[in-house]
Amino acid sequence: MAVDKEELKAKILEFATKKAKFKSKMYIKDLYAAEPNASPREIKNAANDLVKEEKLEFFSSGSTTMYGVPGFGKGIEEAFEDDKSE
Amino acid sequence: MADVKKHDTPMCDELKTGNWPSFVDDLEQRGLAGKQECLDLLGQLELSYKHKETHWKHGGIVGVFGYGGGVIGRYSDVPDKYPSIAHFHTVRLNQTSSKFYSSAYLRKLCEIWDYRGSGMTNFHGSTGDIILLGTKSNQLEPIFYDVTHQLGTDLGGSGSNLRTPAGCIGKSRCEYACIDSEAICYDLTQTFQDELHRPAFPYKFKFKVSGCPNDCVAAIARSDCSIIGTWKDDIRIDQSAVQAYVNGELKPNAGAHSDRDWGKFDIQKEVIDLCPTKCMWMEGKDLKIDNRECTRCMHCINIMPVALRPGVNTGATILLGAKAPILDGAQLSSLAIPFIRMEPPYDEFKDFVGKIWDWWMEEGKNRERFGELMQRQSLQKLIKMAELTPIPQMIKEPRSNPYVFWSAEEVEGGWERDVKAFRSRHAA
Repeated sequence: MAVDKEELKAKILEFATKKAKFKSKMYIKDLYAAEPNASPREIKNAANDLVKEEKLEFFSSGSTTMYGVPGFGKGIEEAFEDDKSE
Repeated sequence: MADVKKHDTPMCDELKTGNWPSFVDDLEQRGLAGKQECLDLLGQLELSYKHKETHWKHGGIVGVFGYGGGVIGRYSDVPDKYPSIAHFHTVRLNQTSSKFYSSAYLRKLCEIWDYRGSGMTNFHGSTGDIILLGTKSNQLEPIFYDVTHQLGTDLGGSGSNLRTPAGCIGKSRCEYACIDSEAICYDLTQTFQDELHRPAFPYKFKFKVSGCPNDCVAAIARSDCSIIGTWKDDIRIDQSAVQAYVNGELKPNAGAHSDRDWGKFDIQKEVIDLCPTKCMWMEGKDLKIDNRECTRCMHCINIMPVALRPGVNTGATILLGAKAPILDGAQLSSLAIPFIRMEPPYDEFKDFVGKIWDWWMEEGKNRERFGELMQRQSLQKLIKMAELTPIPQMIKEPRSNPYVFWSAEEVEGGWERDVKAFRSRHAA
């Protein structure tokens, strides 16, 4: 069943923000629970849109990619902090 | 000597004393020529040898803006000791098909990387990408701009993405190629840009394309989806060339393995007896092949390439599920489609890929490779989800256990039974 993308994005963001208080990094499969009627592909596209909008952020170990909410846990901003060596 | 600081690294130095060229030499030379990162890297490695544990922490940034892959964040956990490698991210670049480069391209790439990174590279990583080792976070966007604008090269795949597809040298140089592996590799890379750059899956997914069953890119061992060129019709035979091999006028193996004297070429011993399905024999001076029994092992063709050639009715065999041994040991890929035409725009193949991805995205567990899902849910389920029609060529041998796993829709009335009605006829 096709789901409205903006609605889906809002649901994913709400779900991720709630979850981030307990678990700062989520697998894409964790986000499926935000809207059980949406297909995995719809969830993926919506979550990636949220990353573009900087409402979610990627976190990767190199082999696996997870999603985080900026401000929770170790985030992208830490990685981009001023380089001390310069 | 450039203004750099070399650390005391006795254990690393010992590696230089072996018979083979050592990476320690390379790092040290480059470091002493002005790259402090190389010397700090050796310093940290020495510390890891001493402590017997890694001093890298990894995880974090994954790419440039809009990308969810291509950069692997690496950070030193002893940045005060080795400040130049406090950030030491890896950048993966999408290699060209079959890894053909011009020297101008390589020069330009090295210039960019020397300026913006450590200068250290790995040509190529296991997946096939160009690996640029070690740069700082604030250089990532400039590197991306430079490689895309100056080299026309994109980032490769990392994380839970489609990884950079890779293929063999294919029709550009190899007479065995049954499919245009370079064109297929390029087409898949372009078609699946979204999956390559933005995480879509439970874990990594790799395509590899080999032009013939020799499988020079080891697709069958290294890719979740192996595309291997094959043929449907008969092996082409030039009987006069067969005789030329028998008479010693042509060198077997195209002259390979000729560093020692193996004696006179013996077609019976070296070709016919080694055929895995015993489908070859000599009739007088003619070599005969029962092509129905041929499994495309390529042995006879490899030994006598002038006399024997793959057929002309060509396509590919698709296999699924190879992986390295993190869970349940290493796995070779399993046959899914014995023969498929691989002509542009490869719609039939892409349609198949869409189906298996849908299944994996729906049912795959976190960090579960496609092959592990196949193993967990069965090949029967794979066939159903990929909407394939089972055919005998998909299996190695007939089954040896008596169980038949029916699904509910194959049984009249499904699995639902009226227990009360049953009990009215049978006492508990």
